[in-house]
Amino acid sequence: MNRLTGNMPRPWDSYRVTLATAVALLPAVAVFIARHFPAIVAPMLLALGLGLAWPLLFAWLRRKPLRWDGLLTATVFVLLLPAGVPLWHLALALSFGLVFGDLIFGDRGRSFLNPATVGLAFLLFSFPGLGTEPSGLTVTLAAAVGGAILLGLGLLSWRVATAFTIGIAGPLLMLGGIEGLEAMTSASLVLGLVFLVGDPVAGASTNAGRWVHGGLAGGLVVLLGSAGDSAGSLPSVVFAALLASILAPLIDQVVIFFNVRRRARRQSNV
Amino acid sequence: MNRSTLQHLTSPLIDNNPITLQMLGVCSALAVTTALDTALTMSLALIAVLTAASTVISLIRRHLPGSIRLVIQITIIASLVIVADQVLRAFAFEISQRLSVFVGLIVTNCIVLGRAETFAMRNPVWPSFLDGLGNGLGYGLILMLVATIREFLGSGSLFGLNVLPLASEGGWFQPLGFMLLAPSAFIIIGLLIWIIRTCRPAQVEADEFPILSLRSGDGS
Repeated sequence: MNRLTGNMPRPWDSYRVTLATAVALLPAVAVFIARHFPAIVAPMLLALGLGLAWPLLFAWLRRKPLRWDGLLTATVFVLLLPAGVPLWHLALALSFGLVFGDLIFGDRGRSFLNPATVGLAFLLFSFPGLGTEPSGLTVTLAAAVGGAILLGLGLLSWRVATAFTIGIAGPLLMLGGIEGLEAMTSASLVLGLVFLVGDPVAGASTNAGRWVHGGLAGGLVVLLGSAGDSAGSLPSVVFAALLASILAPLIDQVVIFFNVRRRARRQSNV
Repeated sequence: MNRSTLQHLTSPLIDNNPITLQMLGVCSALAVTTALDTALTMSLALIAVLTAASTVISLIRRHLPGSIRLVIQITIIASLVIVADQVLRAFAFEISQRLSVFVGLIVTNCIVLGRAETFAMRNPVWPSFLDGLGNGLGYGLILMLVATIREFLGSGSLFGLNVLPLASEGGWFQPLGFMLLAPSAFIIIGLLIWIIRTCRPAQVEADEFPILSLRSGDGS
């Protein structure tokens, strides 16, 4: 093997995850653009420009090859954006998310939070009282198709997805019966599950931890939703994803601690 | 004043800044920096207490028994803080109300006790005075920088005077609510540390978990 390139990933390896996620995003983006055609063009172009410009700047400063994940972050951000956000709010919040959620840690995969989550949390914290997000069953279904693609490729953990669904459905059934489950068809909820909570970078990475992480995120959506407008509303999903990602390393640590103790006991018993 | 004495005053401003290098006094830097006037009052109070405490402790450093030195240092600092608090209540009541407990909490500010224990106990009066003043100024400098950014973006004003046209009054500027919450100060202080360490690479700490270079892995 060539001494210089021996340890370097080939382009396809390096960009494979990005490409797969982009494919999974396509149905939701297509439906979303069809629904909001003229109004969405300017925010979308601005977000994509930022999603390219910030990684480009950091790649140039650090003399590293450019990665395309910023474009995906920008797309997810726009899909979840509440209606009627001024463009400079969008630019500020997305830049914050890209830079502080991702790039200062050394680009995608080295951070512990999802940049779109960070940007949306910044937006919701800074400008309270934003309009309700667009919701529609078609966007929900398209997001679910994307989720199915990611599940099939193993990029979205089925443990996280199952635990998240149980974590939401359980409390909702107890609180409001069968009608309470209607909240689960919200577009931001499904998009949030697939692209924010289910982000492998921002989630737990042990199998037991994934159950806890998903269940925690689901429970938090209901808890935060019942304090605010409704479960499945954008703030409840974003802040649940943020809190669950922040706790994910701790969850992993606890799981590893118990695993180490169990194995140590097994060793000493022999 | 020769160069080496002056060093005690100038080095804590950036090279050995109490907040950005020693990482002390961060709690109050988060709490009082939502507006410039509270940050300025807090800085002045801390400069007064720190300078006086360093001077007084340096004056009696040879008479302090080692076993009870911390008790005496804290007693002196606490007395000075009470004086500062009372002065603020007498002459700047409103600001003192807005600062709430944070002037009183200067007692527990690690910068004050840190300078007393590490510098004033071992140095003559004049350098101790300069060291206390320099550290107070370094603390105040960071507080004012953070407060300027937070008040400008969080309320669109500086020292309570409107600078940007607010959306609530027909302008375009919607204040960033995030800037009035404590996490924003963490991020701003982090950015300041980033800038300072980019300009002064000597401050950069060694990596706790260094990434081994490719070359060292080739040997196996």
